[in-house]
Amino acid sequence: MMNKAAMGGGGGGPTAAAAAAASQKQKTLLQKVDTDISNIVDNFSHLVNLARVNDPPVRNSQEAFQMEIRAARMVQAAESLRNLVSELKQTAIFSGFGSLNENVDRRIAEFNRLEEGTERLLERVGEQAAASLKELEAHYYSSALRTSHREA
Amino acid sequence: MEEEGSGKRRRIDLDRLPIKRLDAIDEIGNEQFPPDTSHEEKRLGMLRRIDFSHVVADNRDARKKQKTNAKEAAPAPQQTWPWQGLVENLQLAHQELSIIMDLINTVEANDAVTVAGMQRPKQLPNEILSDLAVSAATKLQRLRNLGRYFKQSSKAMEQKVSREAKFYGSLIRLQQNWKVKRQRLLAAGPGSEGFTFDLLDNTLSDTSMVSRPSPSALVRVVREASGLLAIQKPQRLCHSLSIRYLGTNLSLKPNKFIEGDIYNSDETLQADKKEALPDEDVNSWVKNTHSVLRKIHRSIFLEQVFDGVNLESYNTSPGINVTGMREGFLQLAISQDSSICLCLVPSTEEDDSHMIESEGHPQKGENSDSAVNEKDNTLNVNKFEVPNPASLEIFLLHIFHKNFLERLKEKHFSATKAAVPGQAPTDPCGLSHFCKTVAHRIFSSKVLAEIECLVSGIPYIQLLSHPPWHSRTSSWSLSLKFPESVFHSASVSKYSNSYDAKSSIRSQFHTKVVVKDDQITVSGQGALCTLGSFKGSSADASSVSSHGCDLEDLPLVILQQIAGQIIHWLHEEAMVVGMKANRDFLCLYVDLDQGDVLGLVAHVDPDDINGCISWWLILEDGLGEDGKFSTDTGENENRKFLGYLSLEGLYSILMDLVNICSNSGCH
Repeated sequence: MMNKAAMGGGGGGPTAAAAAAASQKQKTLLQKVDTDISNIVDNFSHLVNLARVNDPPVRNSQEAFQMEIRAARMVQAAESLRNLVSELKQTAIFSGFGSLNENVDRRIAEFNRLEEGTERLLERVGEQAAASLKELEAHYYSSALRTSHREA
Repeated sequence: MEEEGSGKRRRIDLDRLPIKRLDAIDEIGNEQFPPDTSHEEKRLGMLRRIDFSHVVADNRDARKKQKTNAKEAAPAPQQTWPWQGLVENLQLAHQELSIIMDLINTVEANDAVTVAGMQRPKQLPNEILSDLAVSAATKLQRLRNLGRYFKQSSKAMEQKVSREAKFYGSLIRLQQNWKVKRQRLLAAGPGSEGFTFDLLDNTLSDTSMVSRPSPSALVRVVREASGLLAIQKPQRLCHSLSIRYLGTNLSLKPNKFIEGDIYNSDETLQADKKEALPDEDVNSWVKNTHSVLRKIHRSIFLEQVFDGVNLESYNTSPGINVTGMREGFLQLAISQDSSICLCLVPSTEEDDSHMIESEGHPQKGENSDSAVNEKDNTLNVNKFEVPNPASLEIFLLHIFHKNFLERLKEKHFSATKAAVPGQAPTDPCGLSHFCKTVAHRIFSSKVLAEIECLVSGIPYIQLLSHPPWHSRTSSWSLSLKFPESVFHSASVSKYSNSYDAKSSIRSQFHTKVVVKDDQITVSGQGALCTLGSFKGSSADASSVSSHGCDLEDLPLVILQQIAGQIIHWLHEEAMVVGMKANRDFLCLYVDLDQGDVLGLVAHVDPDDINGCISWWLILEDGLGEDGKFSTDTGENENRKFLGYLSLEGLYSILMDLVNICSNSGCH
């Protein structure tokens, strides 16, 4: 995840301001990750503590509410982590200019190859058509059909 | 309560009002109340007040009856009072009730009641254990609930993650082919993340020719509830370019894409099904989306082409002749009798044909008769005179694309090097080239039709097409192959000393017809120049004469060329066999020894249905005074119609002539 964050943040650009913004973003993201994870761990340890069966039953029911709250917080923190991951994904999609350019170059090369292939194919088709036409014309004009047609 | 008699008879009498009664009033008037009765006494007194008299009365009646019956039947036994138990129970109940009542009253009266140390009874070990068990069970239940909650949320999160994976996976795959933009402003709608596909080719838009911004170039991406990536269809219809000939409904059907799949499947696929789409289906889904995007992109490109063509049609350049223009419609005159229309046709319409037809008669209306006529016309026209509209469309797109690419390269070149000002591209879309090409194709098919007609009239001519690989050039050659001369081998050996073998009698002649734009050039060897001087030198044999002509003259020119070639051949053959022969334009004169001159004359007539070249045999005086050969007078003794001879026939006639000469020479 850290790598991802670094990658996403690092795609800002070569200028100093962009680099600063990127490092700032990276820091924020890391901080967010830390907060969320410590949140989860804290709440879980609380939850484990609350799992003890107490003597007075009143306290047990109090603790039930606490448990629910802790659980909800854990889920919330996890959700926040997930959001962070999706944000990272978006950043990766929109800021991975290197890979995007690479991909564009690859596509261009592929299209050029296709174009060449198509041109060659067309040339071949044309030549074949011309050859066939020549052959057919020669055959037709020297055929008995034509002369017999004429005589008829 | 009081019992009378021996218990058989009871009477209960109760005071109705529970008031304190006076016991006595003394002389002074002091009222003497009875002393406060004890609790027991009070209770009894209250009990006494219950009046059971009516119950007892009823009972008495019943018992009287019973008694009489019993007296009749048998002597009655000693009866105990049956209400005794009830009374006792009531007494006990009352006692308890009164205690409670007392307590309540005391409390109500707010008397000083102090609870002095209520001690919980000490629990037994089994009780403690059971309490603990209950607590533990409750806790367990709670924890189980928590576990369920966690499971639920993890499931939901898993779903979300898989949806996101689906969505972003699709997006990344589509990003490989399309430009994805993100606009946070657009992210307001549900399911919309503000992603858009930008389909506009901005390398085109920064040139001056395409100025219209295309709102449909941005296609919004919507994430469906199932996580699938869907695109919002742009409001504007997709168009396709259609080219057709005016006055015909022969047009290119808009290309059918795999369209609507994504939308149709939207409706047919249930949400839960989509949720469980396997990877292959997601793949096909992405492919569908891709094809829809491609369709939109193509439509945008076609619109750009149309706009470019439209813009270019404002410039007056050779070959472009705009005769009509309106929204999505451009009419260009190609030649005098044909013009083509370029239309942007909405391709998503159900009845494309109808759309085209209604577009097809902008001026004439939709008269059914005219439609039928035009249909017939279409068939005739399409037979060979006009190129296929589909190929025209491809050609137009090809020119546009090629020119555009070249301009891009130039731009790149001029950007890197010093820019040369004032070199605006004059023909950015190649419309002029396009129009000229269409005109040429139509013209050349007419030429070909003429030539084919001619060739069918001369059986010994072979027509060969020569594809020139240029859109505005066509060429054909007419080849004339002569039969092998019986003296040929001898002649070769004879003339090999003085002549090159190549320059001996030719066995084959070619006449080449080249059409460039609308210029016809006929070139050929061996014939005397039809328009030039009538020199009878043999040098003509190898020289190539070439001259232009128009379509009307073409058949005649070709026929003359061919006839000249035949004459040339005959002349050479005659020379080989040692005849005194010379040739004129389309005549071969053979000197007979008496001084007579026999002429073999070719007559060419392109409109003759029996054959285009016919032969006459004439004596010298058969020529008219003006030197022209005329068939008007018909046959007489000086001229003889030989008919539409084959080359072999001609050769044998020549041999006959040789025989005549030699015979006459012998005499």
